[in-house]
Amino acid sequence: MNAVRMRRPVSSLSLGSSLKGKLVRAGFQFVTDMQDLNPEHLSAEAGVSQQEALEALQAASSGHTVAPVTALELLQKEEEFRNIVTFCSPLDEALGGGVPVGKVTEICGAPGVGKTQLCLQLAVDVQVPAVFGGLGGQVLFVDTEGGFQVQRLVDLAGAAVHHCSLLAEDEEQRVAMTTFTVETILSNVFLVRCRDYVELLAELHLLLDFLSDRPRLRLLVIDSVAFPFLHIHDDLSQRTRLLQGLSLRLIAAATDHNIAVVTTNHMTTRLRSSHVQLAPALGDLWGHAPSIRLLLRWEESRRLASIIKSPGHMDATVQYQITCQGFRDADQSERPQSKRPRTQTDQSASSRENTRT
Amino acid sequence: MNWDQLQLKPRIISAVQRAHLKSFREVLVFSEPDLQKMTGLSRPDVQELLHAAATACRTRQPITALQLQRGECRRLESGLRLGTGCPVLDQLLRGGLPVGGVTELAGESGAGKTQLGLQLCLSVQYPVEHGGLSAGALYICTEDPFPIRRLQQLISEQTSLRSDVPPSLIGRLRFSDNIYLEHAADLDSLQVCLSRRAALLLAQGRVRLVVVDSVAALFRCEFQPGDWLERNKQLLTVSSMVHHLSHEFTTPVVCINQVTDVFHQPESSSSSPSSSVSPALGLAWANQVTVRLMMRRLQVTVSRGDQSSALRRLEVVFAPHLARSSRDVAVWREGLRGVLDPVLAPFGPDVAQQEMVLPLPLGSV
Repeated sequence: MNAVRMRRPVSSLSLGSSLKGKLVRAGFQFVTDMQDLNPEHLSAEAGVSQQEALEALQAASSGHTVAPVTALELLQKEEEFRNIVTFCSPLDEALGGGVPVGKVTEICGAPGVGKTQLCLQLAVDVQVPAVFGGLGGQVLFVDTEGGFQVQRLVDLAGAAVHHCSLLAEDEEQRVAMTTFTVETILSNVFLVRCRDYVELLAELHLLLDFLSDRPRLRLLVIDSVAFPFLHIHDDLSQRTRLLQGLSLRLIAAATDHNIAVVTTNHMTTRLRSSHVQLAPALGDLWGHAPSIRLLLRWEESRRLASIIKSPGHMDATVQYQITCQGFRDADQSERPQSKRPRTQTDQSASSRENTRT
Repeated sequence: MNWDQLQLKPRIISAVQRAHLKSFREVLVFSEPDLQKMTGLSRPDVQELLHAAATACRTRQPITALQLQRGECRRLESGLRLGTGCPVLDQLLRGGLPVGGVTELAGESGAGKTQLGLQLCLSVQYPVEHGGLSAGALYICTEDPFPIRRLQQLISEQTSLRSDVPPSLIGRLRFSDNIYLEHAADLDSLQVCLSRRAALLLAQGRVRLVVVDSVAALFRCEFQPGDWLERNKQLLTVSSMVHHLSHEFTTPVVCINQVTDVFHQPESSSSSPSSSVSPALGLAWANQVTVRLMMRRLQVTVSRGDQSSALRRLEVVFAPHLARSSRDVAVWREGLRGVLDPVLAPFGPDVAQQEMVLPLPLGSV
């Protein structure tokens, strides 16, 4: 099996044909020819952009089947991945269900706008039992700023438990509530504090071991990526290299291990055509790492969340608020919507199976 | 760096030594292909090396939030808070300042920031059960001289401020002995002070609070408007030092900051929407701060007995565990006290009512 894979021609990879053409013309006939290169070398040798080189290497190492899949099958596969709700329904709708598993999502915003609060909310929401439409998963929270406060996590956990207990309609859900308590929620959040970028890199090297020991892990939060990397201000090219390596690792962790990776980023001021603008920190190259970028910002006294980058969703802006219970809709009216998995309520999905376990 | 500690294969160790890699941290900074080139090791060997270096670099295993809450890890967020000495303000802060992280206290001159800084230098000396951390404080002045007389006044009035603590305990504390004063006129001396004096005092356990009064002063005069990049670099260096101290020694660091006028509402209005001033040093500094508090003077005066005080408002602008809220504060002889009734009328019939509302010190009218 291994031998067959190693002799796989580049032309069979699921990449754009012009990219494949460039690779083949540069002498990369088989996947093994380019497997051990890093993106910079590959882009230099083949005359392709770094982004394309990255894509090619990922396709080469992924080992996924290359048989053509129908769009419906792809949709069904994506369904299995599920989403992590934010508890702010307009935002969940705009995201197509919530923060997606298998992708890297970045939350940017000015200090105090609610990035850590949303991360804590996701750390609780990922644990919502499957019978309520959640993932029943665990979370690794990497804190680089010292913003993780257990007190606050307890508040959010209590509110989520209360919310779900109000929604419990049948026996199965009631049984699930016995294991969805503040204590179990706290026990499923693993915290690591990294004081600088080297400790962060070390933690990510050990991530694969951690993931293999914990198959239930569905969320990795890094709050924030900006803080340790912004402190490297003497060698910017090293910073860029390290961030590139980091982004590769995060994308690989998300796709290969079926977890949602959520990172937070600071805002920085930039001069654009003689007026000052705010932009996410860490530069444009880092901007390619997340599939989805959420921007949280203030507008007078309102808090707004915008999706500013996402391949699958339209750019949208919704209002949210942060209450003592956590991240919520702007108009907080207690409407207990049914939290059944979508497959049961969606009439048009008659061909989809019930994916509840 | 003793590579033998890592229990790696001898060929890996010798390759690493030949490549002049001196520490675990150095190894982690390179990518896999780069390490392969530098050491000539195979991919599996490099991965083993990185894995061993990462394990050595890791200060502790991931722990669960449940273990944290139960206090099983003293070094990490232990839920400890540094009380302010006033129950109303402690309630605003849900116990007090968090011990890990940098708290910024911003406000106009005369707002009362130094007053609160001094009060914290005293409250930190009380035992943990009374909201302190059983250690002293390091107070770093950067512009105005240290208000020694005010400190002495606060010390002599501690029994009236801290009516919750037995006077015998207060009598035993040698307050002024445990407050270390430093003066830093410029950035270099601040950096030296933080990296040497502060680190030493913290390591010896003599001090568990560092106050920098103020950060803004150092950055404003030293830089020309065009030196923006250099200023940001210095800001980040100072921030990185205070954060490092705070996490290394589980110590609250309070940075007092000034404010600048705001002429238009910036997109990132992290200051209160109602105010026309914003903490100095901009977004680059704001991103570095864990808890942001602002103090401002109100147009209202309160009176109590023979004392009167302009009322201030202490506001939580942002904090990871606190909602945006504020409390009114009065500055008395014995220190800052939060006021329970929000807005008060100036002198008039309400004064008598106000006297009832304030927590009156023992023995006074």
